[in-house]
Amino acid sequence: MAHSHKHEKPVETGPKSRLISLVAQFDDPHALVVACDRAREAGYKQFDAYSPFPVHGIDDAIGIRRTRLPFFVLAVALGACVFALFLQYYVNATDESPIFPGYKFFISGKPLFSLPANIPVTFEIIVLSSAFATFFGMWILNGLPRLANPLQRIPMFRRATNDKFFLVLEAKDDKFSENRSRQQLEEWGATAIEECHEDLTDQKIPAGLRRAGILLLFALLLPPALIYRVSGMTYRQPRLHVVPDMDWQDRYNPQTRGPNIGTPERPRPLFADGRAMRKPVPGTIARGDLTENDEYFRGYKTGTAPSESQSGPYAAIQDGMAAPETPPEPEWVDVFPEDITVDADFVKRGKQRFEIYCVACHGYDGNGEGLVNQRAVSLAATGDAAWTAAKSLHDPAVKSQPVGRIFDTISNGRATMGPYKDQIPVKDRWAIAAYVKALQKTGIKSPADLANDQGTATPAGN
Amino acid sequence: MAASVDLSLDNTYEDPSRRADLVLGGMTYGDITDNVAEIWEAGRPPTAWYIVFGIAVVLLGILGVCLLHLFFMGVGVWGNNNPVYWGFPIVNFVFWVGIGHAGTLISAILFLFRQNWRTSINRAAEAMTIFAVVCAGLFPGVHIGRIWVFYWLFPVPTEHLAMWPNFRSPLLWDVFAVGTYATVSLLFWYMGMVPDIATFRDRAKTKLQKIIYGVLSLGWTGSARAWHRYEMAYTILAALATPLVLSVHTIVSFDFAVSQLPGWHTTIFPPYFVAGAIFSGFAMVVTLLVPCRSLFKLERLITIRHLENMNKIIMATGLMVGTAYGIEFFIAWYGGVDYERFAFINRAFGNYGISYWIMVTCNVFIPQLFWIRWFRTNLVAMVIISIFVNIGMWFERFVILMSLTRDFLPSSWGNFYPSMIDILMLIGSFGLFFTLFCLFCRFLPIIAISEVKNVSPQTLHAHGHDHHEEHATAH
Ligand code: HEC
Repeated sequence: MAHSHKHEKPVETGPKSRLISLVAQFDDPHALVVACDRAREAGYKQFDAYSPFPVHGIDDAIGIRRTRLPFFVLAVALGACVFALFLQYYVNATDESPIFPGYKFFISGKPLFSLPANIPVTFEIIVLSSAFATFFGMWILNGLPRLANPLQRIPMFRRATNDKFFLVLEAKDDKFSENRSRQQLEEWGATAIEECHEDLTDQKIPAGLRRAGILLLFALLLPPALIYRVSGMTYRQPRLHVVPDMDWQDRYNPQTRGPNIGTPERPRPLFADGRAMRKPVPGTIARGDLTENDEYFRGYKTGTAPSESQSGPYAAIQDGMAAPETPPEPEWVDVFPEDITVDADFVKRGKQRFEIYCVACHGYDGNGEGLVNQRAVSLAATGDAAWTAAKSLHDPAVKSQPVGRIFDTISNGRATMGPYKDQIPVKDRWAIAAYVKALQKTGIKSPADLANDQGTATPAGN
Repeated sequence: MAASVDLSLDNTYEDPSRRADLVLGGMTYGDITDNVAEIWEAGRPPTAWYIVFGIAVVLLGILGVCLLHLFFMGVGVWGNNNPVYWGFPIVNFVFWVGIGHAGTLISAILFLFRQNWRTSINRAAEAMTIFAVVCAGLFPGVHIGRIWVFYWLFPVPTEHLAMWPNFRSPLLWDVFAVGTYATVSLLFWYMGMVPDIATFRDRAKTKLQKIIYGVLSLGWTGSARAWHRYEMAYTILAALATPLVLSVHTIVSFDFAVSQLPGWHTTIFPPYFVAGAIFSGFAMVVTLLVPCRSLFKLERLITIRHLENMNKIIMATGLMVGTAYGIEFFIAWYGGVDYERFAFINRAFGNYGISYWIMVTCNVFIPQLFWIRWFRTNLVAMVIISIFVNIGMWFERFVILMSLTRDFLPSSWGNFYPSMIDILMLIGSFGLFFTLFCLFCRFLPIIAISEVKNVSPQTLHAHGHDHHEEHATAH
């Protein structure tokens, strides 16, 4: 296949080459068909005709069997149909798969997979695959591409793509004998006859080319090897960012002074005072910032607030996670603030929020069966983590707490429990507090109580 | 052999007793090869080629600069804005895709219908198709803004995006339809060209030519066995391309028809788009082939009869398009939906009314001239009419798009103004098209040599005494 030259050298005859066929030229298509007929009648099997265009009747004259190409294409088309439908089903109607899961698009409540909408793409994929099958199938069946062909060294044969018609008798045919075949060809009306030789010296790939080929093969192995090498490696540097998209853009940061845009020498602040934001107009307050009402927003009676450092998680951190010695506390409200109406819906809402925010640690019944707590406790037991077990909400110490105190625990956290005021709106925090109170009234007992309980009966409820 | 001198020189007369010759002047096989190969073998192409190529390259350069500007600045450089988010880019896309329909139609549908006259024009028409599809693909390709993630258009799993395209969206169908169409047209074109490239290979003089054409011809020798499979493959490809060509513009029309906008949401769109596509495609073929034919002295191969046939098709499809315009109005009135009625009255007499009348004049009235034989057979006249048709077809898409400016709520009405870049890119796309076409004329066989030989009088008459052949003219 990889001959370096094709048809420039004249053919050397002699021991270095072997006769492979006789090439006979004819002047018109009709003569060619007649000659082919004769050749077949004379018993030749290994011969072929060459013409600048498909000559009619030649298939019968040579005895060419109908190609199987159509069946091959049909098979590919059917496969493509199945593939296309599966592809669309997989990527648009499923989303559960460990690797590259599909993506369900819900659009106007239409079905995720419906033939009418999936037909256009199916059709196009069928046509595309069949076209490839036809194109490549045809070349493969024809044994092409072929870079060198001994026939093309015969100058006369170049007219096979122009205006002459050729019959080529192969030497490997049983009927073939050089002199007799030549005679027959003349009888059948050939206007010129030439021998086609195979150049035996030319069979090997030149050494240089082979070496280059081997080198190339090795070079091809490099990229996958490199990829394998770096896969799964960790880097301290951020990875190469070819296209920045909008990852780094000039912008004015809120609450900062100093330029983000422009150079340090020539800053371009948004406002003359260097700020990127305006201060509120005097005497106004932003939406949601009106939190004057201590009872509602903080759960204690107005004016009884202790200072920041005395309560909440900060205190716990300062004390090195030790249980806080009862810090000074404000006077907690023990009834719900005026703005809250506690009814069934409200408690239901509290239950739902509780199950979102609190169950992970405290468990559904409030006794600390939450998975996070269980795991943290088991880690703490082996010394792998520092953790104070989530307190049972049925602990008498908790049960006795006024509702304002519960509200405060949710808002600001307590010891190892984090604050939730940034995640949960005020009203929902009250709803959770209501649910906690309701839960405490169910008579569920804390694990400690249960342990003491063996025999002693404690009155349920508080 | 009743051929009088007349008929072998002028094949536009109908003689019911015989088929008109498709190759004139008694050309032999060798003459046909020479005629086509000379264009390529000539030391230097005609001066006119240099002029056209020069202008085309300049326009292509403009397109390139516009594209760079677009990539760096973003799609804001176009006139697209609320309420017309699809401006010139989609007009140009539909325009070029439409033009790209003639080639495959000629090579596939006319092949299946055994219209032998297609052989002289199919190669150039297919090439034109591919170049038009390249121009078409350009616009949606660059309109996505971040072209570096263009592969998100295809169903490729990406960790970055972590989602798949929506297979129920006409815009995605479009990606598949146009992609398939471009690929299949390319395969069809190349496959058809291989025997002719082999002809060039066997005539090549320089080493470089021998290598390039040798590789491109894939070692084709014209063996009868190879021809057998080749013809089968050609037929299959034609059979595949026929529904494909109809599907492509159908799907393009779905981009509009599947939406709910008055003036777009109609079932007539698919057939009307396909007819329009064929209409504009043939007009472009005529526009290109008439100058080519004179420039490269192909008058005996691309005869007046070929051109006349194309003009007849232009007239027929023009009538279909005209009918569709009429039906649209009728349905808008008959359907009784106020918004539809308004949309159509506005189309003709509203803010872009002028473009509607340009469209009707160019697409419906002017092609009627082809009823007259003189216009069908006069080279200058047919080129002028074809150019009008293409102008009209561009405006057709523009008119459709401008429905966006007046939808349901007057409060959301607005107008569309193309930017300079919009206009330059439209002009530049012609540069791309003509550059490719000029290169094609210079370096590839612009006529399907082997197919023409197959239908030349020499072959058909030789078949006359061939006992294998009953229908002398059937193939
Ligand atoms: C991340 C786990 C975790 C979550 C989630 C959690 N807690 Fe706690 N909670 C704790 C831990 C741990 C304690 C015990 C703190 C201590 O005593 O050190 C605790 C203690 C409490 C206490 C008793 C406080 C006291 O006065 O001793 C209450 C009441 C409470 N949590 C309510 C809630 C409510 C209501 C929620 C839902 C908004 C919630 N917790 C969410 C871990 C959690």
